[in-house]
Amino acid sequence: MSGQSSTAPGGDAMPRLLELVPDAGLDEMLEHCRELVEAPDLPTVKRWRDAGGKVVGHFQVYFPEELAHAAGMLPVKVRGAPVERREADSHFGSYICSILRSSLELALTGRLEVDLFVTHPICDAARNLAGIWARNLPQPARLLYYPQNASSGFASRYLEGEYARLLAEIEDIAGRQVTEDDVRVSIRVFNRNRKLLRDLYEVKRETPWLLPVDEAYCLVAVGGLIGREEHNTLLERALPAIRQRSARPQDKMRVVFEGGFCEQPPLDLLRSIAEFCYVVDDDLLIGLRWIVEDVAANEEPLHALAEAYLNSSSYSPVQHDARKPKEEMLLRRIRSARAEAAIVSAAKMCEPGLDEQVAYGQALEEEGIPYFLTEFEEKMTSFSQLQIQLETFVENVLFASEDCEQEPLLIQVGERQ
Amino acid sequence: MRYAAGVDVGSTQTKAIVVDESGSIAGRSLIDTGANVVVAAETAFQNALRAGEIAPEDVGYVIGTGYGRYKVEFGDDQVTEIVCHARGAAEMFPETRTVLDMGGQDTKAIRIEPGGEVLDFCMNDKCAAGTGRFLQSAAAALGLELPELGPTALRGRRPVEISTTCTVFAESEVLSWLARGKAVEDILLGVHRSIGSRSFGLLRRVGIEEEITFTGGVARNEAMVAVMNEVLGVPTNVSEESHFIGALGAALFALERAQLQDAPTRRAVGEG
Amino acid sequence: MMGGREAAVTTATEIHGRGASEGRRLFEEWYAALTSAPERGEKAAYVFVMGSLVELLRCFDLHVVFPEINSLQTAVRKVADEYLNLAEDHGFSPDVCGYVKADYAVQVRSGEHPMGRIPPPDVAVLTNACSTYIKWAEIWERMYEAPVFTFDTPGSRIPVPLKRAGTSTETPDRAARHAADSFEADRRYVEHQLRELIEVCERVTGIAFDIDRCREVLRLTNEMGRHWRRVLELNRQSPAPFDAMLEGTIYLGVANALRGTEAGATYFEDLVEEMEARIADGLGPRGEADEHHRLVFVGVPCYPIFRRFYELFAEWGGTFVSSTYTWFASGGLNRDYEYDLEDPLKSLAEGLLLGVREATDSLMFPDRALIESIDAFDVDGVVYHPVKSCRTVSTGLAASRRVILEERDVLALYIESDMMDKRVVSEAQLKNRIDAFFEGLRSREIRLAGSTAD
Repeated sequence: MSGQSSTAPGGDAMPRLLELVPDAGLDEMLEHCRELVEAPDLPTVKRWRDAGGKVVGHFQVYFPEELAHAAGMLPVKVRGAPVERREADSHFGSYICSILRSSLELALTGRLEVDLFVTHPICDAARNLAGIWARNLPQPARLLYYPQNASSGFASRYLEGEYARLLAEIEDIAGRQVTEDDVRVSIRVFNRNRKLLRDLYEVKRETPWLLPVDEAYCLVAVGGLIGREEHNTLLERALPAIRQRSARPQDKMRVVFEGGFCEQPPLDLLRSIAEFCYVVDDDLLIGLRWIVEDVAANEEPLHALAEAYLNSSSYSPVQHDARKPKEEMLLRRIRSARAEAAIVSAAKMCEPGLDEQVAYGQALEEEGIPYFLTEFEEKMTSFSQLQIQLETFVENVLFASEDCEQEPLLIQVGERQ
Repeated sequence: MRYAAGVDVGSTQTKAIVVDESGSIAGRSLIDTGANVVVAAETAFQNALRAGEIAPEDVGYVIGTGYGRYKVEFGDDQVTEIVCHARGAAEMFPETRTVLDMGGQDTKAIRIEPGGEVLDFCMNDKCAAGTGRFLQSAAAALGLELPELGPTALRGRRPVEISTTCTVFAESEVLSWLARGKAVEDILLGVHRSIGSRSFGLLRRVGIEEEITFTGGVARNEAMVAVMNEVLGVPTNVSEESHFIGALGAALFALERAQLQDAPTRRAVGEG
Repeated sequence: MMGGREAAVTTATEIHGRGASEGRRLFEEWYAALTSAPERGEKAAYVFVMGSLVELLRCFDLHVVFPEINSLQTAVRKVADEYLNLAEDHGFSPDVCGYVKADYAVQVRSGEHPMGRIPPPDVAVLTNACSTYIKWAEIWERMYEAPVFTFDTPGSRIPVPLKRAGTSTETPDRAARHAADSFEADRRYVEHQLRELIEVCERVTGIAFDIDRCREVLRLTNEMGRHWRRVLELNRQSPAPFDAMLEGTIYLGVANALRGTEAGATYFEDLVEEMEARIADGLGPRGEADEHHRLVFVGVPCYPIFRRFYELFAEWGGTFVSSTYTWFASGGLNRDYEYDLEDPLKSLAEGLLLGVREATDSLMFPDRALIESIDAFDVDGVVYHPVKSCRTVSTGLAASRRVILEERDVLALYIESDMMDKRVVSEAQLKNRIDAFFEGLRSREIRLAGSTAD
């Protein structure tokens, strides 16, 4: 990377991926996003590649997409899909979550084509994805180790070095130089995106009846599949339309949904929750919202991105930071969203998610906040059991809040020590 | 005339086969295993002798196989059903290179050499998903008898997606599809496809090489055969007698051992 | 001191099993010292086998506690289910690491353990060699005030498989440049963290870091490592003197617990003597050699039925001549690396990084090292034992097995169970598969014997 200015990032000349008609209404936009988010063959990525564009695929959770964007490449969030698995399963043992298998399945079956694949050792299973990728797929795969010793005085310098090395490879693959100004331009685009996503979450928090969790999810998730400028335009159009909706508040419980940082719950599961609850905050696709403030766009850009990762960021079960105990972060999320209860979920076979459920449960119990524990799998299709339990939970909490004698918790995780 | 026999003691049925010196089947029998495994093994063996009009003392060697192989008390040795299935499949379909054996609680993928030597095998993992037990759970939920499953599923046109990998939850998932108004045949086809997909994964582990022979009790279900053929993209070999394949393999091993006994110089090689 | 060393004339039969019994004795001593540490006002550090940093901690008179070893001991001593059940009562899922759960229960039960009483941590040190270490230590962070130091020891950034499928767009230049750059950056980062950790230890113990003491501890680890590698190497003999899965695990425990001590170095020196004596007299792990099949073990052993699990192979004359466990769980001692006593801190950083990196890389691609051992140890079968509890060790095994079968004429068994949870250990199922594996080995042998006779 050099300090000189060059042409604007290549995204400008590239095709529009959303293919949204100019006068589309909110419902059309939402429907279109839903289709794209649910399409396992990733049509936007195909369109980009057909036009000669290059793609960086990055596995959950967080990736500094600005680096790909600055080189004119499309950063694509690899987050599995509810697909039938025929190729991937024979590469794994039994006790492995679905998102790993299905992400590999997408690649092995040619539905996901990238020019560079980056994965993070977020868990013991995921770090193997790079190895299996390297054996079976032609494109280069890289591991990006984020610092887990976040309070080390060297962590930020280390991460900056990682970004620099990765950017050099991205330049190599993109076949163009990336200047500091290029990255600064990208940071501004993403700062705008982060701001719009915060606005979207503000709508969920303040007027949840205007935006059910599944619709909000589609609007966010589509960002991982299209260029960020386009996503910004989409959100700029959608947000005012949402605010003008005529829906009225209903008697639903305000909840925080926790457990969507990596494998994604099926949309139908979110819809089932929305029947009884307003999800006023969540950690769904937290990687797209990892950095919670504007990144300094006038500074040394890689340094600014590294600092933001460490010091202006959200939390997840796969990032260690002694300054951000996760259960305290969850309590903070619940309080700032004024939620009455939490749905603490984890993907099946997800070691970090399942471990964190215990800590979350114990903390919530101590605070007397009702919570509902559940597991999900991206491929699940049957929600009747979940609905019955959730409905009972909601009734119980509402009933208990009328009668303070009642023990407010439906599900307990055993005695605290 | 010398004979050799194989007795395959499975969890539900016990099969016995007696072969003559040329390896041709001279007698066979099939009975329900029941609670007393030792008696079942003995009865099946005696029935096979009677069917072939063979005197017990003319049988030179008996091999037990299947989960109850150590209960074949009159047997000379035991061999696992994995190895026996491979051998039996190679006998029935000599071009076999891959065997898929789908039974009540086990599914096995076996890759073999010409002649039936096992090159590699894999079995279903931690649970009974992808085995016949899964079909039984689905049948129970739909109030169908096992033999009805295949013909009903074959009428399916738009299979549902069965997501559970747990046999215990198969029933509730089937019921939830019923509640959503899906046709029984589409649900069943979905169940078959889900098993087919898991079995395909298992086969991929050992590597798929043609020809593929499909054995075990579930191979008698025509919808399962159709689904496997579709998933694999080639027709599989299926025999009407596939449930005898383990006993046949055991009998052929027994014959070899009997012949080795007659030629003592080579015996050391075979006895590990 | 061990009796065998002083006795001028020892026969192999006399000292057969000395390493195992001496190992047990050292373990009992170690646990006794842990049990009485708090009443003597001595402090304890919690560490993990991959990247333990025991050498540094010894400089501060800290007892080392290996929660992984505590957990596996509950399984070997057949009480794991009590601990697992308690943890699951407290909300842990059946699908997560059994080591974590057993240790959680040990903590909840105030250190109560079949080997003694485990003191609480005064400091905990871990690396990212295993991501579950991090989740595990977060539990201690919540339970105790003790500082938890989470070391970043990044692994390789570029997966380099033995063989790629199809044409690759990877350019070797780019890959090599990336790898070279990252190592030096990582070494600097690790050294910086070492200095930060020294400050933490000084604060916790009130003892000032003494570089000469560090040098001496490193020297003893160097010595132990030399003997350990010699022991592993001796198993190339046929018949192999010891079973790397059964006996190897005992030796491994000593290697971890006593690294950087005089007793540890002596133990392995004696072990070399025992193995050389076995070889001289043609003895195997079971006394009179009955080795019929030479096997490599891949994964973590099945502790809930440890002895039986071993017998399922031994009954067929199967000997594990090598075990990947003795590589990745030896804290880097399997590597031909010695600390540079001229520059202890720099070397400690480098050794830590190299050891952890090799462990993590070898878990991602066990096939490269496996093929080397198949050739060097004249192996005819590979046994993969992925476990529910440990995704670190198990995730890559199905893929590795495919590579091994393509590359070498061996049979490879794939059996899943667990290292802690007997609910997923079905002896009948294991036996069925293991028997079929040996039947396959036997018929292959007959075929090969036939083809050479012709």
